Amino acid sequence: MSDNQIQIITDSFWPLLKAGVVYTIPLTLISFTLGLVLAVITALVRLYAWDFLKPVARFYVWVIRGTPLLVQLFIIFYGLPSVGLTINPFLSAIIGFTLSVGAYGSEIVRAAIISIPKGQWEAAYSLGMTRWQALRRIILPQAARVTVPPLGNSFISLLKDTSLASAITYVEMFRRAQQDVARTYEPMLLYCEVALIYLLFSTVLSTLQNIVEKRLDRSSVS
Amino acid sequence: MIKLQGLHKAYGKHQVLKGIDLELPKGKVLAIIGPSGSGKTTLLRCLNLLEVPDKGAVQLGSVSLSFQEGVKLPFKDVLSLRKQSGMVFQSFNLFPHMTALENIVEAQVTVQKKSKHAAQLRARSLLEKVGLADKADSYPNRLSGGQQQRVAIARAMALEPEVLLFDEPTSALDPELVEEVLKVIKQLAAEGMTMVIVTHLMRFAAEVADHVILMDDGHIVEEGAPQEVFRQPKSSRAVQFLSRLAE
Ligand SMILES: Nc1ncnc2c1ncn2[C@@H]1O[C@H](COP(=O)(O)OP(=O)(O)OP(=O)(O)O)[C@@H](O)[C@H]1O
Ligand SMILES: [Mg+2]
Repeated sequence: MSDNQIQIITDSFWPLLKAGVVYTIPLTLISFTLGLVLAVITALVRLYAWDFLKPVARFYVWVIRGTPLLVQLFIIFYGLPSVGLTINPFLSAIIGFTLSVGAYGSEIVRAAIISIPKGQWEAAYSLGMTRWQALRRIILPQAARVTVPPLGNSFISLLKDTSLASAITYVEMFRRAQQDVARTYEPMLLYCEVALIYLLFSTVLSTLQNIVEKRLDRSSVS
Repeated sequence: MIKLQGLHKAYGKHQVLKGIDLELPKGKVLAIIGPSGSGKTTLLRCLNLLEVPDKGAVQLGSVSLSFQEGVKLPFKDVLSLRKQSGMVFQSFNLFPHMTALENIVEAQVTVQKKSKHAAQLRARSLLEKVGLADKADSYPNRLSGGQQQRVAIARAMALEPEVLLFDEPTSALDPELVEEVLKVIKQLAAEGMTMVIVTHLMRFAAEVADHVILMDDGHIVEEGAPQEVFRQPKSSRAVQFLSRLAE
């Protein structure tokens, strides 16, 4: 490796890391949080809402899970302006990722709710609780524990998937790397470098995930 | 206190309760015995509407409701009947994410809207009553089956129900843990708690109950005071059932 290449690597490291911390991680956190809310609502609608709403939720999950995330982002950012709706890259990315987490997450939440034994509902009902009280106080807290491992995986996937936002011109960490490549003509070096930073982020997250899971296991319930 | 009239319940085409009539005065204990599949659990669950009867009438405490096929009951009525009773399940069904104390506090706060402090006071005195004052902060998975069932009994009493319903409260327990649960139930009987107990333990039924009904195939085939039912059964089905147990 030439001195010049080493220089390029060290020069780009901090700006890339900074782009990761300032753009990629917030994008992930915001989308994931909003997505989770959407996931819980969608799961509850599919399980318990009025019958006319259930197909709406099913349709949403079907469309999002059956089409590529990249195509969804393109429709939101490049497609919607032609029907008069222009959304900036950041918001487009948030909307796209939120819809995605909402759809995949709803399956996780739904499975977790269904996995809680029927006896828990019956105990709650026998104490005079309404369905909503039973859900909120008895079922969802137990379901939440069940969802921690799969949702942890979704979070890590999302962190990596936010690189797709580069394709709709949002300058997160990967697009920043692309810009550096355009300047330096060192694709191999810089793309490997950015890959390493993603690896660093997801390793930290996996470790956190393991700690949380161990905690839950210890205070475990069954 | 409890009055059932012409209670019918079917699962699909399968008639499980075929017209149950029953009365139990306040402060009395009713034991329900009978072969497996005869409808004992179903009858008990019809008392707190975990199963909704197809036909007939249920009176519990101050609430009475009647049922007709195809007529849906307002949920308000369901709740008001449910609040008349507390239920103890075969498999305990404690809330695993809550401590023993929290299990007993929960419905007092969410359903009765009591203050947390008042609810805790009552929960502690109930735990004491079932002999588990020292287990208030234990999670269910740290308790033995017998202890869990005693917490479940305390939980069922938390809302001061008129009636306690038990569905084979000891059949999920190791033999050496049965007695501690039976002791609590006998103590409640002595205090004048109205109870309906489904059980396979004939000696316990004879000891604790004021009134016994023997169910078979969705009917009450024998009923009366324990001495009568166990010593001088009149129906052939009862004779058959009791002699098979004696073997
Ligand atoms: N949810 C249900 N759906 C369909 N059939 C049911 C349901 N619950 C009970 N049954 C049927 O109703 C009949 C009576 O059941 P039930 O549980 O009341 O009997 P049981 O007297 O409590 O029996 P056991 O002593 O085995 O507990 C049985 O034939 C059972 O298969
Ligand atoms: Mg039964």
